[in-house]
Amino acid sequence: MKEQKNFVNHIRPGVVPSRALSVLYTFCLGGLSFLAFVVLGITGLLLMFHYQPGDSNGYDSILTIASVIPYGGVIRNLHYWAGQLMVVTLNLHMLRVVWTRSYKPPKQLNWLVGVALLILILFLDFTGYLLIGSQESGAAATVAVNILGLIPGMGTGLAQILFGEPSALSGSTLVVYVWHCVALPMVALLLQLYHFWRIRRDGGVRPL
Amino acid sequence: MPKQQDWTRRGVLRLAWVGVIAASALTIEPLVKYLTSKEDRLQSPLVAYNKPLDVNSDWQNTANARVWVKRDSLGVMALIATCTHLGCEVHYHPEKKQWLCPCHGSIYDIEGRPVSGPAPKAMPRVAVERKPDGSLMINTAKQVGMDTRV
Repeated sequence: MKEQKNFVNHIRPGVVPSRALSVLYTFCLGGLSFLAFVVLGITGLLLMFHYQPGDSNGYDSILTIASVIPYGGVIRNLHYWAGQLMVVTLNLHMLRVVWTRSYKPPKQLNWLVGVALLILILFLDFTGYLLIGSQESGAAATVAVNILGLIPGMGTGLAQILFGEPSALSGSTLVVYVWHCVALPMVALLLQLYHFWRIRRDGGVRPL
Repeated sequence: MPKQQDWTRRGVLRLAWVGVIAASALTIEPLVKYLTSKEDRLQSPLVAYNKPLDVNSDWQNTANARVWVKRDSLGVMALIATCTHLGCEVHYHPEKKQWLCPCHGSIYDIEGRPVSGPAPKAMPRVAVERKPDGSLMINTAKQVGMDTRV
């Protein structure tokens, strides 16, 4: 197949080699992760209509969404379980890439992009955990702030940027909310599109 | 069986699209309900009741589903029908003269005192105020004792 440099042709090529469709080679783990990401985006957008960030509001509004708002429980649980599922499928995806040695040239750059994506998604899960605003969230936020504080010189400032209040008790601060709902998903989406494009740019899936 | 050959891969996928669109259509009503719900808005603790209330009447529901009023020979009282166990809305059954919680089966007597089930205490009574025109104003934010009447 002639190599094309056009972005659209890589995302939706006219011809896909049949070897790239071998399900038992990839187990569609990357695709499943992306599906979970899409579900997370849609349900997350819906949750934003009723969720109220803030130290004292976060937990209450989660309870209200889950038990009072019509269908809120469904949407909240879909968001929660898609988040859990995505971490599982991403780790299996990474194990598959290691198993088939797909990190080797010419795909070494895409491997690094994938690692960055994994870390981004873990941060998304963590900030989502903080937004619940429960006591566990508060404990998690305290641990994270304390770890950041160990970085000499810039630790406190970094905690301020990432969590708003370094002494965040519930973790459900406006800063965490913005990271979780806007900044991290945007970066993750752009990196994912690059990740997918890069697969075909590097010659597609090639079973051994 | 020539019919079997009509099912091409393209035909099946097309039918799948119809299924996807039909399933999406089914989500419209839940989505509208979810997005238009105002149940998490801040609400005034005051609930008005302006219908006539006879002496020794049974519990009457107000505009707020969880606020009920009743009048006995001593006066008017108001009750919040929220289960003291986990906060479900408790339903009044006039034929049994009992309050039943649908969640975990707590039963309260007509006065709202727990009879059986996991409910630990009586449902709260709240303050009632009689306005000059005879209607009632219930302040759900202000709890009062079981014997308070207006």
